[in-house]
Amino acid sequence: MEEAPLFPGESIKVIAKDVMYICPFMGAVSGTLTVTDYRLYIKSIERDPPFVLDVPLGVISRVEKIGAQSHGDNSFGIEIVCKDMRNLRLAYKQEEQSRLEIFENLVTRAFPVSKGLGLPNESWKISRINSTFELCDTYPAILVVPTSVKDDDLSKVAAFRTKGRVPVLSWIHPESQATITRCSQPLIGPNDKHCKEDEKYLQTIMDANAQSHKLIIFDARQNSVADANKVKGGGYENESSYPNVELFFLEIHNIHVMRESLRKLKEIVYPTIDEARWLSNIDSTHWLDYIRMLLAGAVRIADKIESGKTSVVVHCSDGWDRTAQLTSLAMLMLDSYYRTIKGFETLIEKEWISFGHRFAMRVGHGDDDHAGADRSPIFLQFIDCVWQMTRQFPAAFEFNELFLVTILDHLYSCLFGTFLFNCEQERVKEEISTKTVSLWSYVNSQLDEFTNPFYVNYEHHVLYPVASLNHLELWVNYYVRWNPRMRPQMPIHQNLKELLAIRAELQKKLEELQREAATRSISSSSDRGSSPSHSATPVHTSV
Amino acid sequence: FGLLQAGAVPVFKPRAEEKITPEPKIKKLEPVLLPGEIVVNEVNFVRKCIATDTSQYDLWGKLVCTNFKTSFITDDPMPLQKFHYKNLLLGEHDVPLTCIEQIVTVNDTKRKQKVLGPNQKLKFNPTELIIYCKDFRIVRFRFDEAGPESAKKVCLAIAHYSQPTDLQLLFAFEYVGKMYHNPAKKVNGIDPGGGGGSSGSGQQTPLFEAYSDWDREIKRTGASEWRVCSVNEGYMISTCLPEYFVVPSSLADQDLKLYSYSFIGRRMPVWCWNHPNGSALVRMANIKDVLQQRKIDQRICNAITRSHPQRSDVYKSDLDKCLPNIQEIQAAFIKLKQLCVNEPFEETEEKWLSSLENTHWLEYIRSFLKHSVEVVYMLECKRVSVVLQEEEGRDLSCLVASLVQVMLDPYFRTIVGFQSLLQKEWVMAGYQFLDRCNHLKRSDKESPLFLMFLDSVWQLLEQYPAAFEFSETYLTLLYDSTRISLFGTFLFNSPHQRVKESTEFAISKNIQLGDEKGLKFPSVWDWSLQFTTRDRMLFHNPLYIGKSAPCVQNGAVKSFKRSKKNYSSTLRGIPPALKNGIISEQEFLPRRNSLILKLKPDSLQQAASHNNSLEQYFRAWFSKPVDLHGVILPQFSGTHVKLWKLCYFRWVPEAQINNGGFITAFHKISLLVDEVDMLNRSLRQCKSNLSLQANCSDLDQSRMYFRASGLNDISGTSDFLSSSFPFSPIGNLCRRSILGTPLSKFLSGAKIWLSTETLANED
Repeated sequence: MEEAPLFPGESIKVIAKDVMYICPFMGAVSGTLTVTDYRLYIKSIERDPPFVLDVPLGVISRVEKIGAQSHGDNSFGIEIVCKDMRNLRLAYKQEEQSRLEIFENLVTRAFPVSKGLGLPNESWKISRINSTFELCDTYPAILVVPTSVKDDDLSKVAAFRTKGRVPVLSWIHPESQATITRCSQPLIGPNDKHCKEDEKYLQTIMDANAQSHKLIIFDARQNSVADANKVKGGGYENESSYPNVELFFLEIHNIHVMRESLRKLKEIVYPTIDEARWLSNIDSTHWLDYIRMLLAGAVRIADKIESGKTSVVVHCSDGWDRTAQLTSLAMLMLDSYYRTIKGFETLIEKEWISFGHRFAMRVGHGDDDHAGADRSPIFLQFIDCVWQMTRQFPAAFEFNELFLVTILDHLYSCLFGTFLFNCEQERVKEEISTKTVSLWSYVNSQLDEFTNPFYVNYEHHVLYPVASLNHLELWVNYYVRWNPRMRPQMPIHQNLKELLAIRAELQKKLEELQREAATRSISSSSDRGSSPSHSATPVHTSV
Repeated sequence: FGLLQAGAVPVFKPRAEEKITPEPKIKKLEPVLLPGEIVVNEVNFVRKCIATDTSQYDLWGKLVCTNFKTSFITDDPMPLQKFHYKNLLLGEHDVPLTCIEQIVTVNDTKRKQKVLGPNQKLKFNPTELIIYCKDFRIVRFRFDEAGPESAKKVCLAIAHYSQPTDLQLLFAFEYVGKMYHNPAKKVNGIDPGGGGGSSGSGQQTPLFEAYSDWDREIKRTGASEWRVCSVNEGYMISTCLPEYFVVPSSLADQDLKLYSYSFIGRRMPVWCWNHPNGSALVRMANIKDVLQQRKIDQRICNAITRSHPQRSDVYKSDLDKCLPNIQEIQAAFIKLKQLCVNEPFEETEEKWLSSLENTHWLEYIRSFLKHSVEVVYMLECKRVSVVLQEEEGRDLSCLVASLVQVMLDPYFRTIVGFQSLLQKEWVMAGYQFLDRCNHLKRSDKESPLFLMFLDSVWQLLEQYPAAFEFSETYLTLLYDSTRISLFGTFLFNSPHQRVKESTEFAISKNIQLGDEKGLKFPSVWDWSLQFTTRDRMLFHNPLYIGKSAPCVQNGAVKSFKRSKKNYSSTLRGIPPALKNGIISEQEFLPRRNSLILKLKPDSLQQAASHNNSLEQYFRAWFSKPVDLHGVILPQFSGTHVKLWKLCYFRWVPEAQINNGGFITAFHKISLLVDEVDMLNRSLRQCKSNLSLQANCSDLDQSRMYFRASGLNDISGTSDFLSSSFPFSPIGNLCRRSILGTPLSKFLSGAKIWLSTETLANED
């Protein structure tokens, strides 16, 4: 009755009866706790309908024992801090042994020790120089670089860029040939080092676009931080040694600031909300401020490409956090393909997974160091920005909110191989593609669930979101979804689906009647009552 | 049409709207005048500023001040504008005088500026004129090439005519006077009776001026123990109550007359609405007579109890004690306006949410919603009659009484029903539109209570988008209509004031009134005065599934009623694979003795302990699927109540989302609804052909603005859509660049907003 359903290959590790889950919203429920090698599962049949709590172990950030509380028999407990904006409290009345078992199981299971574009063209070529990950171990095996660049020079450029992350192509404008390229910071250092090959390399990128005699570099960091990096051997391109290059700082804060902001956000949304100070509390987390900075940065990049027809280079320090956020957001604005479900999957695969966003490190997959300094909600922030865009352009995206939430849930769940490990090299080594299933196979098998019925393919539209707090909202359906009061408002996509069903039904009826009329008119050999001409004009679906 | 054509001068053509012929290009720039409208002053070679950072887009033309509006007449087309709706009474650049909030004149070279009041002198020749409008627009003109004296005269004229000291100086009087003087009263198609043709449905809006309207309302709601009383005929008892109103059947006219003396403004209890269970909603002023207070209170309550089928008690709700007062609401509004419109856009970025919170606007909206829900609970669940009590009974009561009825009665969520509600609870109930809208010279009685009501209704519309026949565009245009002094609807402090003032006016102008009680002004509900049939389609909400919707009429088609399954399937946020018990559906009735470890008491639990059963009612209601044709209750927590962006941001270029906004989803639904309508029509036609009855009468017009068929030239592309649609901020607010390029947002540096801040004030 209170057993957990299992996936194929999933096995039960421990079962404990009469465990009490203390829900902050509805009080305590007693039921059976099951821990498998994938999930923590509590079911209680004392409620009708039965109460179920089903949490993938990957969501767990930290497990703590709680000392004696005076709640009747339930004097022992644990608190489970989750990555998805909630904490779970469990209490037992059983003896120490069983509790220890649950605790140990949760800890060992949740944190296992180890686990497993019209190109090329005349200006850009597909290079296999990194096929053994020697040039750069955090880049994919296949890169797109300017045609004229020789492999020797590329190695020298790699030596001049942090972790060998040379400028490579992310996106190319189909008409103007203006490009977005991404890389890590140059190793200028305190003594203003030069690298002829790097300078030439950027010149080549600029030359590949005949429309402009400039190249814009967006350094995502704060100017002051970039300066500080110079002292430590990094830095940013000096405009005097890179002729025709303009460099702008986007003043975006680092991963630690973002982590802290999310921590504050959790404080104000879980488990209770201070109604009177709701808005100023959101302000105080700065979460939306940072969302705005990212969107504003991406708008600048997209605008340079679209209106300025100028190629853009984006980097931060390593080029795998802020850089990935900015390039992928700009691409989403520029190219309607990325606003489809398939396209968005491609975007994540390309800009995030293959270009080495440190998913394992940033999310802390299987890592019990919940306070790890490498953790940061960088990808979550990106998805939030995408959500903000879907709010501003409700008809421009093929996917819906559930799609975005599903991606985030499986970012933590570890049910799919998609977000495991830090870079392509690791994934190849761990044979991720054969040993795990991709999240996209799951998504693509039930596209209906994830499709936005309002979608209109704005094929040639560049979409500029208004990067202003006036239009940004806190994503309540995600961050506050555990609070039962936050029932989503009546979604209008339901109405649209109903209308579509009605239309189909009416069309069918009309056809039947017309057929009937046709037979009658033949039999009565009368040609009056010609069929109505306006049947089923399709709704315009492309612009 | 709807798209303004280059160079076309808007022409006033109410009935001829269907056959707009291309206007021959007028060489001379002449204003288009309404009957009774006269030009007071004009100046040529004026530049209307479109952008602040460049004069490239500025328009050249003539600025005219009439006794109705300021009009800028130009041959130049508006640059960069994709779409703008058209008001038949006004040109694109026109501002009605009653919409003007403040007039600022500037002289660049002398570095002086002055806010112009009425009858003031201006010691310098203005080089620039900035008009701040009550509807949030800001318009700016430059006089560099204009005659300095004429420019000055026009500025002074605008200042003078926009701040009249006497009600009879408002243009509506001149206009109506002209109508009465003209023997063919229906000149220009306006029936001065202003019955209020609705938008397309042919139904008339009941004005509640007559006995019969009240009688019908009693019958409609089944209020059998209530009667219409005529004691106030000729406003013999109260000058702020309507001539007819509804009272408990057990109270005789004689008693009413006697009791009325004890109430402020002699506003005795009047009936608003009856719940099907027999509970009544009643509103009244405070009893001023302290000695009599108890006795009268007792008698009134007894009478109301006797009118209840279950003889239930009466619940009294003292609005002054639990809601913000009108001064607080006005203060909130000023802050909101400052934040949304007057402050340079970029400077509000930091701490935007905190600033918004500090205006208290949303907080007040929440308190009105919450209070109304409590009243709904008393009527619906406790089955008791509710008396709304307020000092004068004509401010907060209007808002609460009508909000409660919108939640409870689906009729008031139709266009005609909503308009009848406004007539019943606002216009006839003596809401002081004249003072609260501040149509005359600045008064301290201004307060945007009516806007706050529209905003509250918008919150409901936002939460239940399919429950209303009208759209948010309708609500916004309704708000704008309060700023046009042509309609009698929003012009007076009470029905009595209309009769009194217009009779005086008629006598002074030698107008024979005959049997009529005062002059009849055009009604706002006669929307054809302002908008073409086509443009009025913008009022229609494609999501609304009314009883008249053909798709429901058709027996075979499933009803739209939301099934439980539907609702649960719309609970987003949890992928099926991870469905999590926390939000399963029905287990939320709070367990009082629940174990909460170390948690701060949840605000909702706190509330529950105060008002346990209200909370239970609220939760039980939300755990069930919503019947859109039944009661709807709003969520009023801080996370649910939002800023009405279309209304407050529509004139701010920087806040406009091009190719985006909710309208893009609305557009798609409209096309679909139009298609379904068309299919239904074809189906009916097909059927009648089969039964050999050639009946084409129901091949009526589409209800939707956006058409699926090729009839509409712009439906194929949505390029013209933006979050401001159908309004266009271009040219209305010249603070910064209007150029589409987002780069302009990041130009740091000097304040481009008018340099006037650094100028010295004259006087």
